[in-house]
Parts: sequence; structure tokens; C-alpha cells
Amino acid sequence: MERDAVRTENLNVWIHGKHVLKNINFRAAVSAITVIMGPSGSGKSTLLRSINRLIEIVPGTKVEGKVYIFGRDIYSDDPYRVRRYVTMVSQTPNPFPHMSIYENVAIGPKLHRLVRSKEELDKIVRWALEKAMLWDEVKDRLNDPPTRLSGGQQQRLCLARALALKPRILLLDEPTANIDPVNARKIEEAIKMLVKEEGITVIFVTHTPAQAVRVADFIAFIYNGELVEYGPAREIALNPRHRLTEMYLRGEIG
Amino acid sequence: MADPRIIKEKIFLVTIFALTILGILPVFHVLAEVIIKGSEAIAKHGLGILTSTSNGILASLVGSAILSILASLLGIPLAIAAGLFVAEFSDTKLAKITRVVSRSLLEVPTVLLGMLVYIIMVVPMGSFSLLAGAIALALVMLPYVMVHVEQAIESVPPIYREAGYSIGMTRAEVLLGVVAGIARRGIATGVLMGFAKAMGETAPLLFTIGAARTTLPCSHSIPLANVLDPGDAVPLMIFQYAQMPQKMYHDMAWAGSLILVAAFLAVFIAVRLLVKEVKT
Repeated sequence: MERDAVRTENLNVWIHGKHVLKNINFRAAVSAITVIMGPSGSGKSTLLRSINRLIEIVPGTKVEGKVYIFGRDIYSDDPYRVRRYVTMVSQTPNPFPHMSIYENVAIGPKLHRLVRSKEELDKIVRWALEKAMLWDEVKDRLNDPPTRLSGGQQQRLCLARALALKPRILLLDEPTANIDPVNARKIEEAIKMLVKEEGITVIFVTHTPAQAVRVADFIAFIYNGELVEYGPAREIALNPRHRLTEMYLRGEIG
Repeated sequence: MADPRIIKEKIFLVTIFALTILGILPVFHVLAEVIIKGSEAIAKHGLGILTSTSNGILASLVGSAILSILASLLGIPLAIAAGLFVAEFSDTKLAKITRVVSRSLLEVPTVLLGMLVYIIMVVPMGSFSLLAGAIALALVMLPYVMVHVEQAIESVPPIYREAGYSIGMTRAEVLLGVVAGIARRGIATGVLMGFAKAMGETAPLLFTIGAARTTLPCSHSIPLANVLDPGDAVPLMIFQYAQMPQKMYHDMAWAGSLILVAAFLAVFIAVRLLVKEVKT
């Protein structure tokens, strides 16, 4: 039985000829929060997008090496199937503006035929919105367009949309970077609960050390396209082995 | 003494206001003229001017309706498909060629498209026909609608594509279900402009439909086959009747103009009401 939900083997990525990720051997433990932290432009989002193969929608990208999800090499699988089990929330809230709040959450289960009846769909939508801590705020206006929600609520709607597929792995690309601190806390809290209650594996990208330490079970520190250090969050936070990690945690590079 | 910046500001505002009025005045003039002269003509001759083929413009109205619907059926699906393709696969060679060709087609004088259809269709078939006219009109619409669709698709921010892909949507699902859905107002506007163009064009019809002004296209027993009959169109009728000496012909041209403008406005308002704008 594979202990890691995600494991990369000598992962190299080039975008338009630029070597963005260099020989990354990254791991994410099952049912835990692994934070990828690092300064802007270090390659953390690229690493995240290699895990659901979203990197491939950008033309001019070359990927070498292996990415295993629960022991299976995803680059020999169909990318659409991968993304159904490994869903993602982006940095900028991007709910589909032409659909209602309800439809935004329902679209995934509908497309992937996870439900057989309207009742089942309603149940999944409610479950996802509850898990994203948004249900109480939107239950009376599920047919409104998402643009009527605040930015933080929109981001939680995106979380619900990603959860509605009941993914095994949830990727979060700086999900709180563009929203207010209150909503940011709600999202962090929602994610911790998801790991605890549903056993979801979370990979969380952030560029703020404080957030990394606050949410992580494990931390991977990326600098300049290289994986500098990886380990349990406490260890990295209290005794970083690498000088770069220490400097980053103290806010000296970023 | 007033601040020169404030004076400049006042002059600027008055100038753009005056120029705006100057710009829209002719539009209202044309509209008013068409509505007044058109309704006068209808009042003078009665509804017969619209419903008769001998002393009225029925054949032109029927022809225009058939032409714009047929041209839209031929041209719009192709234009939408091509616009989606060029926007989505913009890096491919075929998309680049399609884009250049469609931009050139946009600049070709429409009378040439009429000539082209005359040569490849009317001459071999030995007869003018509504179908030939519709094909010429479809060629006029095609690049026009395509550009609108393309721009509507390209204006959708990439974050929504990413959202679609990140929940396992396929490329087709992202393009049709997400991007085209968000761009629906732009696409509908493009389709509407194309339809209006088909209704209003004259030149492509000069060599194609045969200006059959006193008979309706109904010589065949199978209704659909009647598109092979010659026919007429309102803009063509206006163009030719306006040159006639007799007042009666002028009145028919004015009545036709009124109907044309009314049809434009009806389609325009209907699309605006039916297709809601997506706020992003």
C-alpha cells in the first residue's frame, strides 16, 4: 500500500524553454495537508499544476519525469480522468459567471455522472457547500448568479465546486491570496476539517510562511525551481536544516 | 480670472457633446424620414401595397424573409464553428490561414461575391434563384459573424478555462459549456449583425436572384424546392424602384424601407431582451 498520495520522481518542467522545475522529488502524505511554500516565481504553482496536468493547457510546456498518484503514473493516463479525482481551486476566485450558485456546484457531478437523480444532486450540492462553510450564507439564494457574492464567498463557492466531485486530492493554489483575512481563516478552517472528517489529501500552495506554518502537516520549500527542503511542518518551522529555508521563514527572502 | 485648466475642460466637454449630437443627428433624420414617408405611402395606398404582388411589394417581402433565413441557416453555423475554432486553436496553421482569409473576405466588395455565385451557380443551373442569392449573402455574413464570435470568445478571461479544466472538463465541455456560455451575448450580437447584414445587402443579389417582383416563388410542388425559383428582396426593390419616374414606385420603395427598418429593430430588440449579458 502506497503511503503517499502524490509522489514525483525527477520531475522537470520547461515553459517556453525556461527550466522552471528542476529534478523535483516531492511527496504528499495521504489525508494530510502538505504545503508547498516559496517566494513568487519559485515554481510552486507549476509544481501544483503538474499534479493535475493542468500545466499542459499552456502551450509550449514540456514535462519530464514521473508523477504518481496513489502509485499510478498519471502521465500515462487520460488528463481529464486525473482532474476528476484531483480537483483544484485557483488563486483568483473564478466561479462560472453564467451559471447560478447551485449550478456552479452541480456542474461537476452532472458532467461526470456521479448522480442519478435530482435529489442526489441536491444532496451533493448541499454537502459541498456545507463543507466549504458557505451553505448558511447561500441556502436561500441558490439561483442567484455567483457575481452577487463577495470575493471571499466566491472563493468558497469554488472550493465547493471542487469538492462536489468528492475528490481524493484537493489542490489549492494560494486560495486566500486575493481575499480578506476573515474569509481566508474560514477557508483554512474548512480545509482542516475536510482532512480530518473526509480524509482528503490537500496540497496547499502559499507564499506566506505564517500561513504555511498555520495549516501544514508537512512543508515543502521550493526556491528557484528546486525543492530545497521537505519534512513535517513542526520540524521545518522549528529546525530548518537548510539556510535558505531559515532565511525564508524569517522573511529575509521573498 | 478663471483657471485655464477649467476653461479647457469646459471647451472639451462642449466640443465632444456637440460632435456627438452632430454624429447621431443624421441617423435620426434617416429614421424619421423612413418612418414618415413609409407610413404616408401605406396610408395612401392601403395595406394592399404590402400584400399584393401586382400593385405591391409582397414578392420582395417574401423573398427577403426567405433569403435572410436561408442565408443565416447556411452562414451562421459555419461562422460560429470557424470563429470557435480560430479562437480556441489560434496557434495552429489552419487557424492562422482561416483568420487571414476571413479578414480578406471581409474587405471584398460584396458585388464581387454576387458575381462569383453568378459564375459558379447561376450560369451552370441556367436560372436565377433565391438559393443562389442566399449563398452569396451567406458569403457576405460568414467573415462578419466569424470575427464577432472570435472576439467574443477571446474576451473571456482565461481563469474560467482553468476553472473548467480543474474539475475535469474536456476541451469541448470547456469551450461550449463555459467559454461560449460566458460569451453568449457577444456571440448573439454577432449572429444578429450577420442576420441584419443579410437583410440589408443589395449588391450580392444583383446577379443572383433575378428580381422576380410580380410572382411568388411557388412553381414547385415540394415547398423546399421553391428556393430554386427566382425571387426578389426589399433592398433590391428599393434600389430599382427609386430610379423609376413614377410616384407609385417611390411609394412602394418607401413602404419597403419602413418594413425593413421595423424588422431590424424587432430582431435587435428581441435578441437584446432574450440573451442576458453575463457579468464577470
